[in-house]
Amino acid sequence: MIEIKNLQKNFGQHEILKNISLSIPAHQVVAVIGPSGSGKSTFLRCINGLETITGGTITVDGHVIDANASKKAQQKEIYAIRRKTGMVFQQFNLYPHKTAVQNVMEALLVVKKMPKEKAYSIAANLLEKVGLAAKEDAYPSQLSGGQQQRVAIARALAMEPKLMLFDEPTSALDPELVGEVLKVMKELAEDGMTMIIVTHEMKFARSAADRILFMADGVIVEDAKPAAFFEHPQTARAQKFLQQVTEF
Amino acid sequence: MDLVIENLPFLLKGAYYTLLITVVSMFFGLIIGLIIAIARLKGNRILRGIARAYVSIIRGTPALVQIVIVYYGLVDYGIELGPLTAAYIALSINIGAYVSEAFRGAIQSIPKGQTEAALATGMTERQAMRRIIIPQAIRYAIPPLGNTFVGMLKETSLVSVIAVTELMRSAQLLVAQYYVYMPFYAAIAAMYWIMSTFFTFLLNKIEKRLSVY
Repeated sequence: MIEIKNLQKNFGQHEILKNISLSIPAHQVVAVIGPSGSGKSTFLRCINGLETITGGTITVDGHVIDANASKKAQQKEIYAIRRKTGMVFQQFNLYPHKTAVQNVMEALLVVKKMPKEKAYSIAANLLEKVGLAAKEDAYPSQLSGGQQQRVAIARALAMEPKLMLFDEPTSALDPELVGEVLKVMKELAEDGMTMIIVTHEMKFARSAADRILFMADGVIVEDAKPAAFFEHPQTARAQKFLQQVTEF
Repeated sequence: MDLVIENLPFLLKGAYYTLLITVVSMFFGLIIGLIIAIARLKGNRILRGIARAYVSIIRGTPALVQIVIVYYGLVDYGIELGPLTAAYIALSINIGAYVSEAFRGAIQSIPKGQTEAALATGMTERQAMRRIIIPQAIRYAIPPLGNTFVGMLKETSLVSVIAVTELMRSAQLLVAQYYVYMPFYAAIAAMYWIMSTFFTFLLNKIEKRLSVY
């Protein structure tokens, strides 16, 4: 499903991602963890082209972003990838001038040029799926953080993605609202969605993911099954990290 | 006072032209301003340069000079415009520069995450701009645009110099006819004030209505 080869990303002189290669099969749920500044979010954002890449290639479902290709060629591939990929952001990024259901409908109307009634029925179904059927007409400002994030998940699912990217989806939430978002994500995972989740929720990573990528300083330091990673981290870097996040 | 009341229809006709020029110039100014704002934010180097030069020149020169250049200056090149047409053109170009700054500020104030969210769902930059960014930016732009509009209402008095009989020139003509100054000038001052206040009130209403979410 996803094939990444020698991915490099620099911001100016600064190397954020250093020569990352990996492949992710369909239906796999991958949790990306690691200290802040390790390049996790940047890595995720490269996959759907929100960041331009400095070197290497990223292949998603047959579409290839090649750092050596022309800007135009890359852009074309990026659009193709985005149409198959949903993304959920730390800050939700719902459209504040649109209601919950309009947020979910928007891409269907604009990108897929779907008639309104059809888009509406898809959007209403998705809101029901994330437990927000009653909030269709609410504006984002009238919703709690957890509700907003669930609308954002519904919005990402509207385009029927084959891959879902989650960029710290619960980091901006009050602790008591984290559970409702993780529950929706877990259901998605159980439905067989391919997911890459950048997260600080270790318990969730352990229980919901099939695979853990531990990143530090722009490289993938460990790539293991959750049980193996959490019980027997192989590197000193990962051991130290796990100690720090599980203290208290 | 009697003289003013006697000539009120004439003054009202002037006020009508003042309003007409304001609204027409604002309409085209909004279009020009939006295009210039987008050119400055999203254009290539050449477009950005042109847009920046336009804003700099218009904001750095008096509106009165711009008006006489359009009306008199262009005659040298064989372009003879009617006074009203020249007024529309000069003021639209003038106001466009101020409108573009209002739009630019508003567009820049929309968080980057909004564009990213739209792009992530598969929209093109252009679709994201049109469907997500601009509708939000317009709300932010309304207060400064309102000030620009009320400012324009008063600026229109400048086109009296190219013989457009708007409110200012109506008063000047009456003054020339009756040889009294104060009643007519005081009357138009009051009329400008009433119009400005009315539009300020109206814009506040619009602003309130748009801030529902």
